[in-house]
Amino acid sequence: MIGGIFTKYIFCIGLIMWPISILFAQRDSTRALQTVTVRGYLPERFMGGLKVQRADSALAEAYRFQTLADFLSTQAPLHLKSYGAGQLTTVGFRGTSASHTAVLWNGININTPTLGQSDFSTIPLAGFDQLSIQYGAAASCVGTDAVGGSILLSSTPNFRKKGVETSFGQRLASFQNNQTQAGIRFATALNQNWQLAGKTLFYGGRLNNHFPYTERQGYLVEPSETTQKGFIQDLYFRNKKHHQFSANIWLSDNKLTLTPDNPVGRESTQSKAYRFLANYERDKTTLRTGFIRDIINYGKGPDFETNPSHSETDRFIIRAEHEIDVEKPHITARFGTEVVHFRTRVDGYGGGIITENRADLYALLRYQINRRMLASVNFRQAFVTRYDPPFTPSLGVEYWLLNTEKQRITLKTNVARSYRVPSLNERYWRVLGNPDIRPEHGFNKEMGLEIKQNVSSKLNASGSLTAFHNRMDDWTYWNPERGYRVENLQLVVARGLEFQGNLQYKTKHWQAGVFAQYALTRSSQERIYDATAQDIVGKQLIYLPLHTGSANVFVETNQVHKWAKPLQSVRLTVLWQGSSLRYYTFDNSKFIKGHQLVNLLLETNVQAASLRGKVILQVDNVFDALYLNVKRNAMPGRNFAINLMFNI
Amino acid sequence: MKQLQQTKNWFYAAILGLSLAACTKTPEPTPPYGDGVLVINEGNFLDNNGSLSLVSRGNTTASLDVFLKENMRPITGGVGGYAEIDGKGLILVDNSTAGLDKVEIVDAGTMKTIATLAAPDIENPREVVSVGNNKAYVSCWGTTGTFPNFYANPGYVAVIDLATNKITKKITLQKGAEGMVVVGSEAFVGGVGGDRLVQVIDIQKDELKTASIAMGGSAGVLQVDANNKIWAFVSREAVRIDPTAKSIETRIRVGSSTTKSPSNLTMSSDKRTIYYMSTFFDPADGFKQKGEMYSFKISDTAISDAAPLARRMFTGLGYDPKSGLIYAGSTPSFKQAGFVLRYQPDGKLIDSVKVEIAPSGFFFK
Repeated sequence: MIGGIFTKYIFCIGLIMWPISILFAQRDSTRALQTVTVRGYLPERFMGGLKVQRADSALAEAYRFQTLADFLSTQAPLHLKSYGAGQLTTVGFRGTSASHTAVLWNGININTPTLGQSDFSTIPLAGFDQLSIQYGAAASCVGTDAVGGSILLSSTPNFRKKGVETSFGQRLASFQNNQTQAGIRFATALNQNWQLAGKTLFYGGRLNNHFPYTERQGYLVEPSETTQKGFIQDLYFRNKKHHQFSANIWLSDNKLTLTPDNPVGRESTQSKAYRFLANYERDKTTLRTGFIRDIINYGKGPDFETNPSHSETDRFIIRAEHEIDVEKPHITARFGTEVVHFRTRVDGYGGGIITENRADLYALLRYQINRRMLASVNFRQAFVTRYDPPFTPSLGVEYWLLNTEKQRITLKTNVARSYRVPSLNERYWRVLGNPDIRPEHGFNKEMGLEIKQNVSSKLNASGSLTAFHNRMDDWTYWNPERGYRVENLQLVVARGLEFQGNLQYKTKHWQAGVFAQYALTRSSQERIYDATAQDIVGKQLIYLPLHTGSANVFVETNQVHKWAKPLQSVRLTVLWQGSSLRYYTFDNSKFIKGHQLVNLLLETNVQAASLRGKVILQVDNVFDALYLNVKRNAMPGRNFAINLMFNI
Repeated sequence: MKQLQQTKNWFYAAILGLSLAACTKTPEPTPPYGDGVLVINEGNFLDNNGSLSLVSRGNTTASLDVFLKENMRPITGGVGGYAEIDGKGLILVDNSTAGLDKVEIVDAGTMKTIATLAAPDIENPREVVSVGNNKAYVSCWGTTGTFPNFYANPGYVAVIDLATNKITKKITLQKGAEGMVVVGSEAFVGGVGGDRLVQVIDIQKDELKTASIAMGGSAGVLQVDANNKIWAFVSREAVRIDPTAKSIETRIRVGSSTTKSPSNLTMSSDKRTIYYMSTFFDPADGFKQKGEMYSFKISDTAISDAAPLARRMFTGLGYDPKSGLIYAGSTPSFKQAGFVLRYQPDGKLIDSVKVEIAPSGFFFK
């Protein structure tokens, strides 16, 4: 029934938009959509018609000791599936599964190949400089996994800020949870022609999770400990002839232990990642090579040290891209190919080494049709040992319905095929995996309206409304009916509406802003493949709330009283998140109640001589709300943190 | 294939029956919980969502998660077992994480909580039996490790005094201690994995006796028949123990199949008929798990698998002494609600009741 309503919604929006677009097409616009020449690989350029959201950089700075999971919940209506504080947390977009979220680091998919997804609790915000959230299918642009959306992480050099800056940060939080970061950022001219910029960062932390309670309102609070450490090295060399060499290294090590005080029963999971990228750019040609090693060790009690279950996958990546710019018609075309060699050794696969090759050929086109209209047309064909995923095209259009000095209304639409190459576990797990399992494939349609309004010189507003429909077939399922053998069984249809709104007010001494969003997401399995599926067909997918919303409100002033002169500015942010109930059984017979969370941040910038710093007081779960993770254990109650960051 | 089709047809018929039943909206049974059948829903491992549903005899609507309903707090794990002793109900709670298991003690008439016994005294509780006035034994595995050293610790029996709701003693047993029965002044404890013994405890002194019976394999579930003999399935044999002599009297091959395994040993109320499941993964049907329900008499000298009472996979069996019906738990998957099917002892299906996740046992009030 709701499905029907949704289809109607989308149809209605289409009907409403049609005359409006004709109306506004009559007017002339003064500015054309910008074509940007950007260094490095920014897939956003070819994501015409898709919703791409740049993360709130001020808030990201305040969250720099926390994980991507913590931060994303403040930014986007994603459904996070958390197993507990500091434990496995996966992210799904728009009613798709965690395996349908591509996570790209500098353009390279870093989802763990064995699981086919990323654990967002192991990705610290310190690991990258910029974050974009892309909604909807973008597999034609970024490759496998981008069925529901993608998270784009990138490192960005700052050549302009000459010199060396040393930074140190410390977070002290409730439950004896601590984090430390130390690093340098540098930029310098090496000689007349060459410049160097980059950064080095070490980070580490220990979440002891020494909760003062073992239960909250009758729900258990699971004892766990997490230690994290990592190292980042970014180096960028460029010369005046537009040649650039760069190297990015990101090493990370995350160890989670459940019931750490139980010597026999404690369960330890260590996830390590070694990521190396080297990049060469000359004019419009980019050559890239990379090596990524993902290791997961798991063991119970002393077995973790002596005989852990081990999984190790190496990826050797080569990518070549070339871009062509044509003036008339105004087309930017980027052609590329990527070859990845996988080498995996997993105890569950039998212990031997399994290799697999994957290759992609793609063409990404950005066509500025006229001043008002932009189209993206992308094509990708992937090749995988033993079988090939479907040919994956996409078409996106952006059209300025209205464009004045004060206001811009953009209509966006995108139609895209997508695919997911099954994970290595799905292909090679002893007995239960299936080497011939087919790739999942999706068909995503979306339409959105984006409004930017310059209300006054002090007040800016923007908002967007998007409707989507994504049909995914051959969805894999570890079928309990067949002893959990994996099969291409399900057909899932996801549909929904998303709203985002942003208000920014700024005067000489004061700033304030509101960012709010809401999503209505309905996603269900639609195929009756056996008698047991009768009870689950058409039901909302598990862990997916029908309604999610969040709002962040901040006020900032740089007018601090004389007595507190070293304080440059003070900023107060209130973050609210809400989610309706989440079913956790396929037949929707059992659910986890909805919840609301309120977090507070009080930040101040401090300057004394050459020392610049930031002090942040943080209160999470201000109202001590009870909310549950997927193990139906309680998440922590009200907790506090102080974050200190200093730069010299 | 035909069998699969039959199962499907049957299933659709059951669905239809259920929908019709749903239309008539028989009222939910209401507390107190003095009468009816408590269904032990094991729950799904990582969901920690075991529960008890109350099914009234002659009613096709269950009252769900009665512990939560009465106590406004959940059972925080899978449910491994339930028994009532002198007006108190004991719920065995097994959380997916070590160190978080419990025994919830409730008033059997109201399901209201009386006391909670927790780890480290209770770790992987497996079965509960009455061993006298206000006294219960709970068998436990202790903390488990990983294969091949899964039973990392010796098992034990926690002796619970229900007058004080305290654990008065822990009796160390073989690894994998599990099913228990009481015959006279002795409790017999079977085991899985580990040493594969049936061990004997003096229930007056709460002490392990030196005599034990080597079973030659795992014997998780024990039952006592009308002649006070103890039965267990060991691999594909039904084994009868003489509790007085502490020895095996007979071993009978269960059927002739080399792929099917007997389980869910269930005694009729006259204790002269044994009902059981025979389960297997069918390689000819994509390794689908299948099962059949059978019965045999305790006086039989051979057990035939020629004529099953029902061709369907069940995760729990029970024999209701009051109605004389067989209750069978069906688990479509561990991520959706299961059903309880009621059968005549001859295998004729009567009706079905939708319950919760993985109905695996019954307590008949």
